[in-house]
Amino acid sequence: MDVTLLDRQQATYPLELCASSVPLFQSYLGSGPIVELKRPEAYLSGDGFHEFVYFPVGGGPEFGDSEKLNLVPPDAAPGYCISRTSSCQMTAFHAAAMKEEREDMILEKMESTPGSGSRESFTKRKAEVVADRKSKDKRIKGELEGESEVKTKCSTQVSRNSSKENSKACEVRKPDYIHVRARRGQATDSHSLAERARREKISKKMKCLQDLVPGCNTITGKAGMLDEIINYVQSLQRQVEFLSMKIAALNSSAEFNVENLPIKELPSYVANFPAAAKLPAMPNLTCFQLNSMQKEAVNCMLNETMHPPLTATEGIASASVSIPEQALSSSTITLQPFSTWNMDPQGLYNLYNMGFH
Amino acid sequence: MMNTPQQVKNPSSSLKSRFITRFLGALTKITAEDPISSSSPTRIFQRYRRIKVASNKSMAYSVRSRRIWSRAMLSRFRSRRSAFSGRRSSVKTTNCTTSPPPALIKVTINEKKTAKGGLDMQTDELRELVPGGEAMDVCNLLDETAHYIKCLTTQVQVMRKIVDFYHLSK
Repeated sequence: MDVTLLDRQQATYPLELCASSVPLFQSYLGSGPIVELKRPEAYLSGDGFHEFVYFPVGGGPEFGDSEKLNLVPPDAAPGYCISRTSSCQMTAFHAAAMKEEREDMILEKMESTPGSGSRESFTKRKAEVVADRKSKDKRIKGELEGESEVKTKCSTQVSRNSSKENSKACEVRKPDYIHVRARRGQATDSHSLAERARREKISKKMKCLQDLVPGCNTITGKAGMLDEIINYVQSLQRQVEFLSMKIAALNSSAEFNVENLPIKELPSYVANFPAAAKLPAMPNLTCFQLNSMQKEAVNCMLNETMHPPLTATEGIASASVSIPEQALSSSTITLQPFSTWNMDPQGLYNLYNMGFH
Repeated sequence: MMNTPQQVKNPSSSLKSRFITRFLGALTKITAEDPISSSSPTRIFQRYRRIKVASNKSMAYSVRSRRIWSRAMLSRFRSRRSAFSGRRSSVKTTNCTTSPPPALIKVTINEKKTAKGGLDMQTDELRELVPGGEAMDVCNLLDETAHYIKCLTTQVQVMRKIVDFYHLSK
């Protein structure tokens, strides 16, 4: 019965809400009296985590109020939920997420279509999003259906800014009020909502990067993650340099006939090559005549072997740990002619070990 | 092996195969132009430079303009090439895609300051590493970094295979 009441209200009163300003909202709806929530049960979905945000239209002062404003209707049923006034009407309208993950979905869908500025196309998309959500949660179906109609009429600008909020828009008797749920203990003004949305976007992307960069499952801070990412990118770039040097060197020692290289068979080579295949590359360095320029080139190369990548890019994960040790031991032989170097193999070896722990 | 599903699914036109084709083509060109017999250190070093550029270029061309970092890299190559050609008096300016108007740059700088006070240094470092990173906001930067890492690992894999193949066949 609550549901039908809501539906009736929403059907008869098309609501168009603009996020930008209160006056606009007021002018559209007219200044009406504050309407109380007569049927609180409809909004008590059993999820005590959420709180309602009351959005009164009637007075200017209400908007600036803090969130803790209890408005209890005279005929409030016992156990009526505490309402909070929100200073921003934006919180009212969007992505009616009952739960956080649904908001994530909506956020992503909204952001995946960045180009549209028109309200109409956005409301259509919102309707689709809402339809998705409805199909997913049958539990709160009634309320969702009530909300969806409100949502389809919401504006795009509102959603852009505060789509990430865990809020829900409901209509009561008169459309003067938009009841929104805010997350517990969090501010509901536009700036913090936008900030929160941004921050969560960024943390999601950091999680994706965490999957890409090996060995950073244990790191939990953004700063640590960024450090790891930076190190990894640097090591990859250095590896590219090192390998191109190797190819240049091997050109001079072997007939480099590219046509012989079976491209299709390349993937199989990776599986077949043992870790030791890399080692023969090291002694080749001794055959080079050293002058300053080549020392520089080989210096660059040996820097790579001293700090070999911490990643198992070729899938020989276990071997990657043993490789550096062997490479270091073989490179100590080649290091002897390079007396001018200030590289301390032992120190670097310790440094490398530290990198693995 | 890095798990890159889209490359495994469609081997004929995957990023990896495009890169391999281009890179090997560039390598043949380099070895053809450079006499293989000469093993003087300077030649080796020059060859190393050319191979490195060829590798990065091949990867950037395989990605085309789909990514900000690849566009930045390609425009860098083009401007470098035109600078070396000597025909044009001034270096060709970068594409408008990679050199956003000053207003946008200011926006990103302000955003950095207000949003992540403590992580500015690291995001700056990351911007320096990823080509074209100076003009990106943090969100885009992280996306581009992820794709860039994927491409770099492909590069490294392929080059390793080439090296190993020739070492074993010696």
